[in-house]
Amino acid sequence: MTNRRNLDQFERELEAIGYITERDDRIALTAFLATELGKPLLVSGPAGVGKTEIAKVLSQVLDAPLIRLQCYEGLDETKSLYEWNYQRQLLKIQMGREHLQEADLFSTDYLLPRPLLQALLSEKRTVLLIDEIDKTDSEFEAFLFELLGEFQVSIPEMGTIKAKERPMVVLTSNGERELSDGLKRRCIFLHVEPPSINKEVRILRAKVPDLPERLALEVARAVNVLRERLSLNKIPSVSETMDWAKALLVMGKTGLDPAWVEATLTLLLKSQEDVELFYREMGAERLIFESSKLAQGERHVHG
Amino acid sequence: MNLVNWHRVKGMSMGNNYDSHRASELDRYLVEFAQLLRTVGLKISPSEISDATEGLALIGLVDREKVEAVLQATLVKNVQHISAFQEAFRAYFASLEQKEAWQKEAAHKTSQWNEQIEKTYQDLRFQDNELEISDDQRAVYANLPEKDKQRLRDFLEKSSKGTRSGVPVDHTYQPMVERVLRGSLEYWRKKLNEDDPILSPGSSDGVLSEVERALRDREVEVISRDLKKISPEEWPEVIRLIRRLSQRLASQVTRRYRAARRRGGLDMRSTLRKNLRYGGVLVDRSYRSRRKGRPRIVLLCDISGSMLKYTEFIWQFVYGLSSVVSGIKTFAFGEALIPLTGKFRKGQTFEVMVKEALSISGKEWGGGTNLASALETLQKKYPDTFNKQTLLLIVSDAQTLEGDKAATLLGEVQRHVRQVLWLNTLPERRWSETPYVKAFLPFCQMYECYTLGHLSQILNKQF
Repeated sequence: MTNRRNLDQFERELEAIGYITERDDRIALTAFLATELGKPLLVSGPAGVGKTEIAKVLSQVLDAPLIRLQCYEGLDETKSLYEWNYQRQLLKIQMGREHLQEADLFSTDYLLPRPLLQALLSEKRTVLLIDEIDKTDSEFEAFLFELLGEFQVSIPEMGTIKAKERPMVVLTSNGERELSDGLKRRCIFLHVEPPSINKEVRILRAKVPDLPERLALEVARAVNVLRERLSLNKIPSVSETMDWAKALLVMGKTGLDPAWVEATLTLLLKSQEDVELFYREMGAERLIFESSKLAQGERHVHG
Repeated sequence: MNLVNWHRVKGMSMGNNYDSHRASELDRYLVEFAQLLRTVGLKISPSEISDATEGLALIGLVDREKVEAVLQATLVKNVQHISAFQEAFRAYFASLEQKEAWQKEAAHKTSQWNEQIEKTYQDLRFQDNELEISDDQRAVYANLPEKDKQRLRDFLEKSSKGTRSGVPVDHTYQPMVERVLRGSLEYWRKKLNEDDPILSPGSSDGVLSEVERALRDREVEVISRDLKKISPEEWPEVIRLIRRLSQRLASQVTRRYRAARRRGGLDMRSTLRKNLRYGGVLVDRSYRSRRKGRPRIVLLCDISGSMLKYTEFIWQFVYGLSSVVSGIKTFAFGEALIPLTGKFRKGQTFEVMVKEALSISGKEWGGGTNLASALETLQKKYPDTFNKQTLLLIVSDAQTLEGDKAATLLGEVQRHVRQVLWLNTLPERRWSETPYVKAFLPFCQMYECYTLGHLSQILNKQF
């Protein structure tokens, strides 16, 4: 094939659309592997580290529309794959009582394609995001096997539908439940950790261009301290870090100070329990102290 | 780094002209590597190996780090296995000299071990006859301090030369001597096993034994360490894990309930009624919902002396669970039953709480165990605790007084509840030494649970 890209090209394309990766996080390499091998990509990691973002970015890089299936408890095939358009079928029956075959009713005209079927029927290659697969029941997971392995589905009334153009499938999981071996076997696996300070600074600077370097650094360090030192119920996500930085920027701050940290803390910690934990075990001053210690450590390493 | 094995792999299929012969050589290495991963606990299917091959063909073999990334992405599908993979990768693709050194070391260890066992055949004799003792017991002897070894040898020597009513003992006394010796070695085994189990030198394969060693060192990873050995500084991490696990338990409880609802049969009456508006054509279906309801969790924790080391674990488990699942009933028991429901307060330690509860009932903390009386009190004083929706969780090491009575009571309780789950802090290999475990087994599902790894495994299996 002529239009095959290699890894370097792929990394450059990611960079071009403003997605920041590091070599250590292996995101670029693993995503590249999944696209080229035509395998589903299973992404795990804590909430808010940018798992869903990977699918969005892939859709941009591959220039393929993104189809998203948000999973939840009790999701079944009528909501994810297809449903018959009963109303339309009824009308049709009323209209032509005399000369009508059953096959007329169970044809694509009367099918309401849901995300999974949409991805298979699409003429163009798509990126199919199956978000939070760990929230569904294991029955649904088993139902996905056919789709993920063969890229086809069987509809009892119609037969098997094969993908016109194989979609790039991205599954995400928060690890709430152990996924089945069968599912894992069919996927390429990527585990995403919260970004390093360095990477987060780069993300902040890319997404909030007005942000001064110093503030970006201090914000990234402080968030890193929060993530590592406290046993929070929910660690601050990358987007929350971004919100925090933006808020500080709007208020014209160039660095962190305890009063402002306290005033804006709720942008990072979103549960009462976590806020209480923060004041009990750390407090704003200590947070700033710890992050400045981190800075010294960094300088030490570089020096 | 001078990576001989690595270079061999690399040399094989560099560039574009890698022919089938070379590829099969690469396959052979990959299969061998996959075997190594399987021995350390990963599940790897042939299709995954073929993914790895394709991936390597795509990325090339020039960059060691990229190769590691490719192999990890295709072969490792579980976060907990990443560390094992990394160690295996490091060891398998190490330099030849390094591997030879490991091989030598492993061989040395094995021969040393064999020598030690061999020596016990010389040491442990009765009137120049070999004694009938198992290899496990011989290993215990070999691991004893010299002083205690000498004591056992003295005993054997003396009894060899001993007399009974003036007549020197003959070989018919050997079984008796063996019994005494076995008893003594059994005692030592328990004692030594308390801290570190006596491990045979493991595999004689250098690479594998290196991986095993590294993984043992990595046991720093809290998940696989005995909960009583976790130091206070590490508790925050452990607490976080326990919270996560209990959150999972809570969310799974809901999942079951919802899934069951949809599976009820078709409700004909309401279906017909609903479809009157379509002229009686059945379009919308309506299901009869069969509610299973959430299980009501009743927690029964052992706080006797033998369990003291685990109190922090129990407390965190109880607290974590009750902060995410509502309506848990909690009881502790030692010699008597202590109700704890509704006594949790933030920032309070388990010890303080139990002590408060104890001062009300006037009992001692960390005394003996009597599960029988605890169950009896529970049935008498709190008769509404058990019903068909109850999940009874017992955390205890099963070392209790009146075990037979307790087992009978547990059997009775089991008939009235949905499930009895027993988390035993005693390792499974020692269950046979505890008199009543066998009596309890028919009435509950018992799991060994002394590391967080165990706890998460149980949750995976059960919910």
